[in-house]
Parts: sequence; structure tokens; C-alpha cells
Amino acid sequence: MGRIALHNIRKAYGAVEVLKGIDLSINEGELVVFVGPSGCGKSTLLRMISGLDRPTGGTIEIDGQDVTRRSAADRGLAMVFQSYALYPHMTVWQNMAFGLQNTRMPKAEIAERIADAARLLEIEPLLDRRPGQLSGGQRQRVAIGRAIVRRPTAFLLDEPLSNLDAELRVSMRAELTALHSRLGATMIHVTHDQVEAMTMADRIVVLRAGRVEQVDTPLNLYNVPNNLFVAGFIGAPGMNLWPATPETKGSFLLEGGTKLELPHLDLAGPVTFGLRPQHLRLDENGPLTAKVTLVEALGAESVVHAELEGGVRLLAVLPGQPDLALRSQIRFAFDPAALHVFDAQGQRVKTG
Amino acid sequence: MKPLASILGAVIAAPLGWIAGLAEAPLRLWQRLTGKGGMIAFFLLPNMAIFGVFVLFPLIINIVYSTTSGSALFLSDRDFVGLGQYERLLRCDDYTNTLTCQEDQFWTAVKNTAVFVVVQVGLLISIATATALILNREIMGRSFWRAMFFFPVLLSPVVVGLIWRWILDRNGALNAALVGVGLDPVNWLLERGWAFAATIGITIWAHLGFYALILLAGLQAIPRDLYEAAEMDGTPPGRVFWRITLPLLMPNLLVVIVLSLIRAVQVFDEAYVLTGGGPGTATLYLTQYIYEVGFASLLKNPGLASAASILMGGVLIVLTLVQLGLSNRNEKKGKQK
Repeated sequence: MGRIALHNIRKAYGAVEVLKGIDLSINEGELVVFVGPSGCGKSTLLRMISGLDRPTGGTIEIDGQDVTRRSAADRGLAMVFQSYALYPHMTVWQNMAFGLQNTRMPKAEIAERIADAARLLEIEPLLDRRPGQLSGGQRQRVAIGRAIVRRPTAFLLDEPLSNLDAELRVSMRAELTALHSRLGATMIHVTHDQVEAMTMADRIVVLRAGRVEQVDTPLNLYNVPNNLFVAGFIGAPGMNLWPATPETKGSFLLEGGTKLELPHLDLAGPVTFGLRPQHLRLDENGPLTAKVTLVEALGAESVVHAELEGGVRLLAVLPGQPDLALRSQIRFAFDPAALHVFDAQGQRVKTG
Repeated sequence: MKPLASILGAVIAAPLGWIAGLAEAPLRLWQRLTGKGGMIAFFLLPNMAIFGVFVLFPLIINIVYSTTSGSALFLSDRDFVGLGQYERLLRCDDYTNTLTCQEDQFWTAVKNTAVFVVVQVGLLISIATATALILNREIMGRSFWRAMFFFPVLLSPVVVGLIWRWILDRNGALNAALVGVGLDPVNWLLERGWAFAATIGITIWAHLGFYALILLAGLQAIPRDLYEAAEMDGTPPGRVFWRITLPLLMPNLLVVIVLSLIRAVQVFDEAYVLTGGGPGTATLYLTQYIYEVGFASLLKNPGLASAASILMGGVLIVLTLVQLGLSNRNEKKGKQK
């Protein structure tokens, strides 16, 4: 229960194509996160799955059945909205009961389901209150509770944490993950926050401009990004991306003029090198010389902003609190194995 | 354009500045003498004066008039009769038959007005709600329809009455159309039932847009995702209306109900222009009765008219208090939210 498959989903509003053919399969019990910059189509895709909007092309299957033409109510899914969408004039109990009453469920069962969900979410003392009397975090729980009591085949969560303050977001993130493992139900979570995606997801779907850029586990996305977009989007602070051209075999000239000897690489044509800030280390004999422009000391680590030759930006995350003078020249080394290489089209180049 | 505008601006601004300059010295003096409280009184004064002359004074004079008799205009020429006028208005031998009342016209007007209020407000609210619901949908030419429904509100009541008299007159447009398609003409304004219905119909037509607009604003304030949440739950449309739309529309609906009630009790201008109260007394409403007794009939009786208007004012005050009470309760509920 809870397998969802999308085949070539397209959505156009007039001449504007928002989704440009999306194929995706989501396994039973999986927590999948749709992530991408705003306008990438992640919420639109979720609405297609929910049935609130219809795709202009393609099919949606739930547990092997084509539901593309089915109404939202007949898909057995529950949605948690960004605004929570709680009915302001009803109590928490009434909010949770409302959807169940539509199905003419016996009263005793409704009461039992609400009691179960309330216990699970620790909102029992709130059942007689109205949404207006609740804090943001409590409303969030009620919204999730309203979804839980329906016992859906899958949960759809549309940026459910974006209206919470930073601290609450972190704790709700952990709670949602715990809830997922307890319920074992399929969940699709939409967010623009890559940290949220990394910490919660079994698998992440990275979307850009209506296309899937990459689908993989969080660590695979981090370690083996398929293309420049994913490389730059996943990980904080973002990956260093340096355009370069090969000079002779194993020798590259970075934009700006820095020379880099990488004997293990034999590439023709322009490339882009990607290197995570965490993979740079201070080394007096290192190949990269840079001028320090800013040091953000966070205590356990320091984020160093620096400039390579020609003003090309370099970001390094160094452990501890290294003593670096502003505008001083320092040298960095890195493990060549940590270097990502992308071709002129921005696709990953296998380097062995 | 620009030089013209600036010249115009200067022409208008210069005398204003000059007048303001004239006012400055006495204002400063006043402020020095009375302090801040005095200034507040000074700025409130014009409005208070207008309110006093045109509202408060007539109200008091009206109460005084209602205790006097005769057709004389000046109070000094009128005789004090205490509550005599009220007694005359309210006395009936048999309250189930208005003809046995001393002022049977008053009672006819009261009865007509009561029926008018109940039917007109009931229909008006239902139609306005339905209209707002439709106009809130994504229908073709939505702005056009919104304008169409609001347009009659902009017309003067007399114009509304005249337009419909042309349409409903014995030789009017509607009968011409009926004859044109081979049907018999109807004497819309000379048959009691039709005339009464006509006053209800045209006041609804004339006021509908205003109330629909208030309701439309209320509908648009209901977040769309509430409806989407209901859709995900497979809520039938009827239940969505009764359990989500209606409760959330209630604050606006209350305003609309009370405003339209008050306005219905005061019905006069459109109906008077359309039917003049006729045929007979079929569309004689309270305001018209007061107007005719006080100003238009041969035997003017300002005292009786004043007493009737005070009674009507009492009804309106009760309705207003109900509205205030309900909206306060709503606000308290809103604060709980």
C-alpha cells in the first residue's frame, strides 16, 4: 500500500509549461522529499498527485491503479497544507472529525481514531480548542492529526514546516521523521530547504524548472551529484564550482589564471571542477593560492572566504579556529579523489 | 500638461494658504488659552454643530411635536396633548381587523411594511448570497457581471422607480413585449398583488449589488485551501456550504441582514415613485404614511406623523441594538480565534 508511480507527467498553464515530463516511482513506506528552488514545480507536482489539479499529460498510478482521472477524495491520500488549512470555526476535535464524517463512519470509530491520533501527537489537551487559540507548532500537529485519522495510503506534505520559527522547525523535522517510521506510511514532503530534505528523506527528488534533475538518497546526492545544478544546490555552504580548460594532458587552467596539475585526468574541452568547501585543507605546498577576504568563525569550524587568481571565489570550511589574517595569501590542498568534474553541458564526467 | 497642472495647483493653493494664514493667529491664541483639550473640541465643533442642527435638534423637536395636536406649524400655536397622539395611533377595537382601528391607515401601513420586510429581506439575502457565490467563481466575464449587479446601486432611488414605472406601466415596455409575443397584457401596477410584488422586486434589484458586494468580500476572505482540504476529504458540496462557507461568512451575513432589515423598514422612495402607495393602500408603507399625514394630506397632522415616526424609530433602535450585540459577540469570537 502506498506505491506511487508517475509517468511523463506534464502540466501547462496556457503556453507556460510548469512540469515538463516527470517520471518517478515512489516505494511503499518511503519518505520522499521534493526539493528545488521556488518555481521549480515541486508544489505543482504534489497537487497533481493529490488530485487537486489535473495534469495536462501523463498518468499517475497508486498501487498499480491508474488514478489520473480520479477525484482527490478517491485517491486515498491525505494532505497537510503549508497554511495548515484548519477550519477556524471548528474545535480541534471537529477539525479532525470533519473528513471522517463525510464517509459516514460510525461515531465510535471516529472518536477512537481521533483519540489515537491525539495521543500519538500529544495534542489531547487541545481537542476542545479552536485553531486560533493554538500556537504555530500546535496547529501543525493538528493538521498532521487531521491527516493521520484518515489512515491514508500516503501523506502529502506541502512545505509544512515553512511557517514555523527556526528552532521549532528543527524539532518538528525530527518529529515528522519519527512519525514516519512509526506509521510506516508513504510520505511525500515538499520543501525548498535542502537541509530539511537531507535530514528527513529516504530519497530526495531534486527538481528544477519542471524537470527532475536527480533522484537518490541524500548521501548519494551529496557525494555523487549528477550535474552542476544538484552539485550547487545540495550541501551547505555550497560547492566551489570553477570553470576550467585543459592545457596539456593532466594540466588545467582555471578561469582567472590558476594552474592545476591533475595527472589522473585526461579530458578534452572545457569543464567545470566542483569541490566541497569541507574538502579543502591548509597546506603550504598546496596547488591553490588564495587571498583571504572573510573568515566566519563558528567555533567548531571556520568558513573561509577567499579569492583565487583573477578574483575567482573560493570557499573553505576548516576545522577549529585557524588563525588567518585578512588579505593574507594562503595555500590550500585537496584530495584529487574529492574533485567533481562536469562537462560543458553541466553533466557529471566519470573520473574512474 | 505639467505646467498647466502646476498653474492650476498654484491657483487653488494660493487662496487656501491665505485663508489658512488668516486662521493661524486665532488658532494659536485659542490653543494657548485652552490647551490640548480645547483644540480637540475646536476640531470636533463643525461636525458636532452639523449633527446638532440636522439630527439631534430635529429628533428632540420631533418628540415634542408628537405630544401636540393641530395642523399649525409653529410650536407656540400647538396644543399639548401628552400621549394622545400615540393613543390615537395605537387604539383598535379589534386588533385582528385593522379597519376597526382609529387610524386604520397607520395599521395598514404597519401590516404592509411588516410583510414587505419579511419577504423582501428574506428574498434579498438569499439572492444576494447566491449571487455572491456565483460571482466568486471563475466564470466567464466575472468583472463584467460584478459591475452589472452593482450598477443599480449607483442609481438614484427616484430613477429606479421611474425606470420600472416605464417598464411596468399599463402601456409600458413589459406589456408591449407581452403583446408582441401574443400574450395578454397585465396591469402590473394596478393589481394589488402585482403592485406589492413589484415594490419588493425592484427594491431587491436596486439594493442587491450592494449586499452581494459585502458578501463577496466575505467569501473572498475565506482561504482557498480550506476548500481544498475539504475536497481532499471528499466533502459533498452541500456540506461544504453549510459547514464551511456559511459559518465563515456569518460576520458579513449579519451585517447584511441587519442593514437590509433597517432599510426595508424605511422603504419609501422607490416604492412611492413606482406605485404612490396604490392601488388603494396595497403598497402603502409606514414612511409614506408618515410623510402623507405630516406634509402631503389636506388635513396635515404633524403631531400624529411625529408620533408614528417615533414608534418606527423605536423599531429601528431595537434592530440596531441587535446588530451591535451580534457584531460584538462576533468580535469576541474572533478574538478567541
